Amino acid sequence: MNVVLAVLWKDLVSEWRSRDRVVSMLLFSLLVVVVLHFSLPPDAGTTLRAGAAGLLWVAYVFAAVLGMNRSFALELENEALSGLALAPADRGHVFLGKAAASFVLLLAVQAATAFAFALAFDVALLPVALRFAGIAALGGLGLAAVGTLFAAVAVRTRQREVMLPLLLLPVLVPLLLGAVRGTAALLEGASIGPAVRLLLVTDAIYLIVSFVLFDFVLDE
Amino acid sequence: MTNDAPAPSRAARWRRPTLLLALALVVGWAFAVLTAPEDSMQGVIQKILYVHVPCAFAAYAGFGLTALGGALYLWRGDERYDRLGRAAAEAGVLFCTLVIVTGPIWAKGTWGRWWSWDPRLTVTLLLWFIYLAYLLIRGFTEGSERGARFAAVYGIAGLAAVPLNYFAIELFGGRAIHPENLQRGSLGEGMGLPFALGVLAGLAVFAHLVVRRVEIEELRSRAQDDEAEAAPERRLEGGAPWRT
Repeated sequence: MNVVLAVLWKDLVSEWRSRDRVVSMLLFSLLVVVVLHFSLPPDAGTTLRAGAAGLLWVAYVFAAVLGMNRSFALELENEALSGLALAPADRGHVFLGKAAASFVLLLAVQAATAFAFALAFDVALLPVALRFAGIAALGGLGLAAVGTLFAAVAVRTRQREVMLPLLLLPVLVPLLLGAVRGTAALLEGASIGPAVRLLLVTDAIYLIVSFVLFDFVLDE
Repeated sequence: MTNDAPAPSRAARWRRPTLLLALALVVGWAFAVLTAPEDSMQGVIQKILYVHVPCAFAAYAGFGLTALGGALYLWRGDERYDRLGRAAAEAGVLFCTLVIVTGPIWAKGTWGRWWSWDPRLTVTLLLWFIYLAYLLIRGFTEGSERGARFAAVYGIAGLAAVPLNYFAIELFGGRAIHPENLQRGSLGEGMGLPFALGVLAGLAVFAHLVVRRVEIEELRSRAQDDEAEAAPERRLEGGAPWRT
């Protein structure tokens, strides 16, 4: 457990000192919101309501991919990744620490983006803020889990930044379906039960699979 | 270096039997398809069934074998399993491409449109993306050991995503319009034989391709070993290996 907290603390402290990941993730997801706004007809108004959840999650996924890439690109400097791999600790715990740090950063970005999104598209997120936070957190957890596993792989390939989304997106579909349908149901006032159950199952499977497989993606 | 004839690779033993089996089955299958009755509702286009479904079987076999090879490789560390996983992934992608190409042709003729987001269709498409990414990892990773390890990890994670994908899409995605072909008696009179032969022929062709692909990998790794043995100093000279 100490290892998890140590890795989490290390990532958060180094992020606090530079703040480059959160700032770039946040700016990027805000820009996605702006681009989405201009890519839609100006009077989309009410017809957009049904698609709003999907647009918001597109921004989240893009920001997450950007952040995960950085999470391991940083470790390449001064061979820090080899240090992590050689550390006398269970690599599963290293994984949990890295994933937890990405999860915390993602949550911050999600919250700020949701705020901007609600303003830009006139979506009433405030009345359902608490339940929305729950769905966003469940989605973010799964994103951080598989994202951390695949980022550790992608960072060691020749096409680093390109590789991560190619690996991540086809596997993310169940998670995104749950998150988008859950958010949409929330905005329409429908039941979010099935979506939350799907998210819980997906999160559990992703966490277990990533935890087990992370052992094999660190080397040297 | 000696001038002894090199021992044939392990996979080479299987080359001829699988080839003969595949040829025999393909000829029988072609004959059975030609003589099979035309579907009373769909007409001749229904015969694409004898290509489409066998290819799907071969594709799923390939992806299952990829994950199995990957898991065995991570467990045992034996390169043979890695070669098996890689060969199965390439053959699987080939058959999956055929499924994705033949499907819309049939769909346009019977459902009236090229594409629908039916769960089985969507999962097959996602599988195709997952295994193309699997092959990309192999292409883009330096060092064969690392590439094999990464690909194995992704192959297993990719297979784990399949039931989840299916479940999620069935829960929220499009309507299912693929028929439940697995029930007995869903095929008309005289259609069972060409269908069964097609599945067997597809699997035999798949097996032959996997054997040939494994053989190539075995020869390649042997050639690399020979090269390293013959000129160890080349590796130390530095510079890009492909320029030496």
